[in-house]
Formats: sequence, C-alpha cells, structure tokens
Amino acid sequence: MIAMNSQQINQFLHDFFIETGCDVERQEELLHVQLSIEMDKKIMNRPFYWRYIEATNGEPNPAQLKLTTSLQRGQGEIIHFGSPRLQQIYRVVEEFGAYVQMYEEADVTASQVLLTPWLAVNYKVAYCCDCTKEVLYSFGLNLMTGYMVLDFHSSLIQKNLIPTKPANGFCVQHIIAPQRGLERIQAALNEIIVEDDHTWANEAIVKWQREQRILDYFYDGVDDKPEMYEIEKQALQERYGAKIKMTIVNGGLFYLK
Amino acid sequence: MVEIEQSTMWQEGFENRLNGKLPWQNWSLYKMNYEMTQANLIPDFSGLQCIKYLPMLTPLQHQINAATTVIEEMHGKAILADEVGLGKTIEAGLILKEYMIRNLVQKALILAPASLISQWVEELSMKFHIPAAAYNKKYSLDGCDVVVMSMDTAKKSPHSERIYEQNYDIIIIDEAHKLKNHKTQVYQFVQGLKKKFCLLLTATPIQNNIFELFYLISLLKPGHLGSYEAFQAAFSASKHSAQHHEFLQELVHQVMVRNRRDNTNIAWTKRHVQIVPIHFSPEEQALYTQISQLDVSNPITRLTLQKELCSSKEALYETLSKMPAPPEEILAELQQLTINSKAQKTVELIQQINNKVIIFTEYRATQQYLQAFLYENGITSVLFNGKFKKSKRDYMKHLFKEHAQVLIATEAGGEGINLQFCSHVINYDLPWNPMKLEQRIGRVHRLGQNEDVQIYNLAIENTIEQHILSLLYKKIDVFEQVVGELDAILTNRSKE
Repeated sequence: MIAMNSQQINQFLHDFFIETGCDVERQEELLHVQLSIEMDKKIMNRPFYWRYIEATNGEPNPAQLKLTTSLQRGQGEIIHFGSPRLQQIYRVVEEFGAYVQMYEEADVTASQVLLTPWLAVNYKVAYCCDCTKEVLYSFGLNLMTGYMVLDFHSSLIQKNLIPTKPANGFCVQHIIAPQRGLERIQAALNEIIVEDDHTWANEAIVKWQREQRILDYFYDGVDDKPEMYEIEKQALQERYGAKIKMTIVNGGLFYLK
Repeated sequence: MVEIEQSTMWQEGFENRLNGKLPWQNWSLYKMNYEMTQANLIPDFSGLQCIKYLPMLTPLQHQINAATTVIEEMHGKAILADEVGLGKTIEAGLILKEYMIRNLVQKALILAPASLISQWVEELSMKFHIPAAAYNKKYSLDGCDVVVMSMDTAKKSPHSERIYEQNYDIIIIDEAHKLKNHKTQVYQFVQGLKKKFCLLLTATPIQNNIFELFYLISLLKPGHLGSYEAFQAAFSASKHSAQHHEFLQELVHQVMVRNRRDNTNIAWTKRHVQIVPIHFSPEEQALYTQISQLDVSNPITRLTLQKELCSSKEALYETLSKMPAPPEEILAELQQLTINSKAQKTVELIQQINNKVIIFTEYRATQQYLQAFLYENGITSVLFNGKFKKSKRDYMKHLFKEHAQVLIATEAGGEGINLQFCSHVINYDLPWNPMKLEQRIGRVHRLGQNEDVQIYNLAIENTIEQHILSLLYKKIDVFEQVVGELDAILTNRSKE
C-alpha cells in the first residue's frame, strides 16, 4: 500500500473541511480555511478559550488556518503524510465517519424499486509481537439471504448512494437482524484468521524462549531471585507475547438494488 | 492459538444508531475514514514504515540500515555505538517513530545529559513529529507520553519513584557510557526500569576497561555475556585464541550496531593525528622532580599534582594551596616560575596553523591562564564549558566563528557542541580515557566538515604524560579487540 501523495492529501483536506461545515478557499496547493466552531474545538487544542467564551457568552471567533500541501517552505503550515495536523484530522474522521445508513439511488422513471438491506463492516486486524502487521477486511452481508462478500467497500464506492430513501424506493425488511449479522461476520473473520499463516507467532515464541533461557542462566543458582528478574521477565512477555487485535473501522446499513 | 483482543466500542455506537438514539453519519467522512485507514496500514512485519511519514527528513543509508537492524534482528534492544558524528540521534528517532507507528510504543522515556535535553526535544518534534517534552517536576508524568530528562534528575527521589510508576514501553539513554559503573546510583536506577525496548547510545562503549562493556550489555540484556565470572574467563581466553576472540566479538555485535565513518557512503575528510613532544625547561623539570618526591598520603594525589604541573602552574597552585599542609617552599618556587613550555609550544602551533583552533584542557585554571597568555601573544580566544546554558553555548560558538581564532574548552565542553567550521584540535592535556579524545575530535570531525582534520596531542617528555600515552595505547587495543577498529586518536599508526 502506498501512502497518500500531496495531491491526494490536498483533496482529502479540502473534502474534510467542506464536509465538516468549514469554509475553504483553494489556491493550488494552498488552502485557506475558516473553521467552524465545532472543528475549532476538535482540532485547535484550546479548551480554555472555549470554556471562557461559553462562560462569558462572548462572541466566538473560530480560527482560520492556512495550510499547504507543498513541501517547499513558503506560505502556510506544511501538511504531508505523517504530519501531526493530518493525524489529528484522521482522528476526527474516525469519529465522524464510523456509522452510516445509505440508499442506492433508483432510476426516477421506475415506479418502484426494491432495495435489499446489506450490513457492511470494515475491520482492521493487527498481528502484534515484537513487530506488527495489519490487514483491512471489508465484509458485506446480505441481510435477506445471509450471502457474504469480501472487499465490499470497493463495490459500494462505485454506487450512487444517498442518505435518504429515494421516493420510489421500497426497503425490504431484513430477515437477519443487523446485530446477528455482525455476529456472523465476526465468526467469518475468526475463521479467516484461524486459517491464516501464523509463523510470526511461533517465531516470537522461539525468540521469547531463547531470551528467557539467557535470563535464567544469568540468575542461575540464585535462590531468591531479585525483583530485577521479574521485571525483565515481564518485559520479555510484553515484547514477544503474540496478540491479535481486531477493531472495527466503520460500517453501516446499505439498501441496494 | 494466539490471544485475541477485540474492542466492542463500535458495536455500542451501532446499536445506538439502530435504535435511533444517535444520528447516522456522513458518507463522505465514512469513505475518507476507510481511505485514511488504508493509507496508514502496516502492510508488513519488516521494513521501515516510518520513512513515508517523514518526507521532510532524508536519513542516510547507514542510519536506515542501523534502525532496520535494531528492529528486525535485535528486536528493539541494542547499543547504538556509531562513531561520533554519524547521527545516533537520528537512528534512535527512526526506531522510536517506527515503534510508535506500529503501535508498539505509546510511552517513551529518554535520558540524556542535561545540556542535550532541549536538543532532543527539538529534534524529536521538528524532525520526527514526536511530541516530546522536557521533564517538569510540576506536572504529572501521566499526561506526557514522550519525556526527556537528565539522568541526574531521574535517578533521584522523588523523580525515580514517579518514573517507576509509569509503564514505559521504551527507554532511550543518550551518552550511555555514563552507565559504565554498576555500583552507581544511576546504574541501579536504570537496572530497575522495565525495558520492553531499550536503546543505549554511546560512541564509546568501552572507556577504560572491558568490564564496562560487560555491565552495559548486562543492563540491556542480562545474561547475554553470561555471568561476570564466565565473561572474565572468556575474555582472558580471547586474548590468546583467535577463535575465542571472534566468538566474543560476535556476541557483542549481536546487541551492538556500530557504523564507522569508513563504511558509510559518505566521503569523509581525512584525519591527521600527531603527538607533539615537549621538553620542560630546567626550572619546570626541577619543580616536577620536587612534586614527584613530595610526601603525600595518597598516591593518586601525586599523579594529580604531576598532571597539573604538566598543564600549568595555575592548575597546580589551586590544588596545592588547598592542601591541609600546603608545601610553602614549592608554592614559593611555583610563583617564581615564568615559563610554561607547553603554552609556548601551543602559541607556536597556533601561529603556524594560522586558522581556527580548538584547545581542550582538563583544568579551568589552565583555561583561564591560556586565554590570558594567548592574548599577550596577540591571539584572540573565547572560553567554553559544558555548564553553559544553551543560549550561552550558541553565543560562544557564534563568537568563535565570527570573532576569535581560538576556542578553549574544558572537558565538559566535549559533548553537545558541533564545530565543523574548525578543523584543528589541540589536546593540551591528555585524559586517562581515550574515548574522551574521540569525543573531543568528534566535535569537528563530523558530517559537514569539508577540510582534513588535524589533531595535535601535546605530551611532555619524561613525565606522567608519557605514561598516560602508553596507557591510552593499551586501552585502545582492548577496544579494538572487542568492539572493532577505531579511527585514529593518538597517531596515524599503521596496524600490524
């Protein structure tokens, strides 16, 4: 996977501020942003200012930002992949882009279009020991038939989706409740993970055991092992203890033709 | 099967949308969340991910290699022992950043000499976008994930207790050779820290003897070199057998990365090192003999006095006059002394060099004397020592660069100042420890130096300084036997 280039970041920032109700003016790589009150509170790190304004009923004055996606020093705060501001915006996007309910737009000429309910869930799975690897899984589950697909997100973004039910759309009632659907998806993910290659975890155990032996050798013959021994043992466990972390990135209900 | 951790956070929010308690969210932001998560994904166990997060930083190849080796082969516990000036801080920054991106490190503790704290904070935040803060005892450590503090503060109560309460994922120790003595408070403090990941930074993992390296490695990985006795036996064997020697070197290099100037892809300027022999005047020699015969309770005192006389009568006078029973006769003779042969030779050298020079001395009294003596000879100089605050250090550096020919530094000035615009170093006094010389030379022989570097080691014949020289050679041999080759420190001698 390739990280985002500066053009993509520019578009990302532009879209983000538009979607969160800020005013944006774009001059090539430069973005002039008038933050909304809500976004000022989210990304400007000035809780005391806002507490003061609210306590005194003062005139709120949300900040203006001048951002640039050019790496040449010049006007504006440089935003690139990995810059703290972008990470901060990512946190906001995670919070505000977690749950949706969308409808596929129907042909206006048709009298009635049946829309089938789907549950979409996107998972991030991290394999962790002394190093990490992450995989993104995008599931879709047909809540009528129980049919499940992978890489669902890429098919969703091809579609014309709107947040309100089209006038001529008819949403079929689901047979599988969304909560049950989530359980099915979870079970499917568990199966994928069990089937996966876990050489990494076995290798971590080998490294762990080897280092434990070295440690034991150092304290060989010491009956009352000092606290240092336990601390070091704990450190080994934290370093090499293999773990799989699953988090849901986002998901929602989709009524599709 | 591997332990699985699963968060139910999303599920709760989802239920609240299903039952209408909370509104559904924005489709564009939903897509952006997916897109951003995909861009931030860690696709592989190996390889440095942090590079793509740092487009403004251009690390050198040997720095990238060092960081990769530490993470992939040493599993995050290592001694970074590059020669001075190759960018150990950058390597440590890359490693820390990588672990933070991979979510293996949230909390980091960095211990550095007090004079380097602000430099660490600045480099981490400017170059690596790591929000580091200098320790402030007024604030709780809970709220600060990456903290930089001095070893001297950290080891003391109540700071040490406050640190132990935290659960740091990585401990980074700069100038780690300060941990060479296992009996010190600071060593024991570090020993008591949990080290999930740990980096020890030092260009000079051995200063005086091989056991310093043993204790350093035992701090990092207890047992790696076996017990003290086993190590001692292995080391004696290695002196006589090439096989043991290789084995010991290999063990050390399992936990140590050491880049040498010569094996980086950088075109380094040359280093010319020479010993400048000096002869005492008859008056100085007579005094030296008297000092050497002085009846002192502690033989170390005699060594100190001898060493001081080799530096300046001012340095000696300070110590002598503070003795419980000052030898009045010698003091009187000392005051009569008008010639300092070494200082005279120094002036000659500076005039010959006719360019910027740094002089290192071990004594504050000598430092001041030299400034006055150079002034009498029409040579401008500024003084420098490590106790200066950063602003003063920067100012002195500026003065030296713009207005003075010579910078006279005491030992404590050897760390944390970079003077690439100067290429001549006079070691006016020799320290007992060869690594101090290496640290001094490192101030000028580093990235950004465009000229060949000239080093002059002054040593007075038939005095303790000759003994120091031979000791320095021995210590360098031990270092090279275990750690690897060293750049020229004393002379450009050829290897047998």
